[in-house]
Amino acid sequence: MIFISIIIGCILGALIGINIPTIPYTYTKYLAIAIIAALDSVFGGITSTLKKNFDMKIFISGFFVNAILAMLLTYLGEKLNVDIYLAAVVVFVGRMFNNLGTIRRHYVEKITTRKIIAKAEATIKQANEQK
Amino acid sequence: MNKNKIAIVLGIVCTILTIAIVIQINTIKRTSSTVSGSSSELKDEVLKWKEKYDNAAINLENAKEELSNIRESSSKNDETASAKEREITLNNNLLGFTNLEGKGIELTVKDDPNAKSENIAPYDDISLHIVHDGDLRSIVNELKNAGAEAISINEQRIVTTTAITCIGNVIKINDEKVSSPFIIKAIGFPESLESALNRGGGYLERLNEAGIETTIKKLNKVQITKYNGVINSKYMKNIQ
Repeated sequence: MIFISIIIGCILGALIGINIPTIPYTYTKYLAIAIIAALDSVFGGITSTLKKNFDMKIFISGFFVNAILAMLLTYLGEKLNVDIYLAAVVVFVGRMFNNLGTIRRHYVEKITTRKIIAKAEATIKQANEQK
Repeated sequence: MNKNKIAIVLGIVCTILTIAIVIQINTIKRTSSTVSGSSSELKDEVLKWKEKYDNAAINLENAKEELSNIRESSSKNDETASAKEREITLNNNLLGFTNLEGKGIELTVKDDPNAKSENIAPYDDISLHIVHDGDLRSIVNELKNAGAEAISINEQRIVTTTAITCIGNVIKINDEKVSSPFIIKAIGFPESLESALNRGGGYLERLNEAGIETTIKKLNKVQITKYNGVINSKYMKNIQ
């Protein structure tokens, strides 16, 4: 259910995005950093859903506030002539990998448990037949 | 927490995210075609200046339009003013400040496609096989002589201050770079324009002999864009 809605959202977003005019080049840096922050939030959201501690308020506020803060940091970095956005990229991408790792582990464990259960059931069946 | 609600929120968030990503990709694709290269800071700078230039050009365009609207509305109910307005329009047409259309020809001049260093004879000069600034000047001269009322080369209007010069491997017209193929549009009587260009011993014949490809189309409707620059006058004064 969650993955279906994510896929539908992505397709819808792509269709809308193609038909929307592009933005001025000056703002591409900010949009890029906002995209990375938002991606991080989405992966965080998926992870917390899997862990069953999803909180709507935290998710939505994280999505917008992270993106805006990242853009503000980029702006500040531009004014100070320091590439602060690099720090934001490092943090967000690092967290993204952590979350991806959690998601991966969740599914791998799910599959292994399923396999073990199937094996156990098969042995029980065999044992019953031998009786 | 309701699972459906989570799914819907995640879907909406993903929609926003994908919209942003697609916009970003489109923007990068659009801009990186203008400037290619690896020096990212210089590239950034060039793109930003280009954007500023484009914005300024759009503003100028809007201001000009507004000015002409104001002029039109103020001269609407006044006989002498509307006569003046007509005169101004005619003068602007002649100066090249308006988009025009009318009968005319479209001439395409293209560098010799077979001119490569391997199939050029040793005594042959490769520079004969490409279109030079002088060729364009001669063509423009020929067209003016045949009564062309408005001329443009690759959308660069030929106005009174236009210079056609050579800078390295491209040609500069109105301070804008243009390169082969050159599409020369002229408004005038199509038959006389064509025969002036095509006459025996004429300029096009000489170009064709050198392998330069030329095609002339006689059209009932040629559209010529206006001159985008400004014509300044600083030193000239009327004699009293």
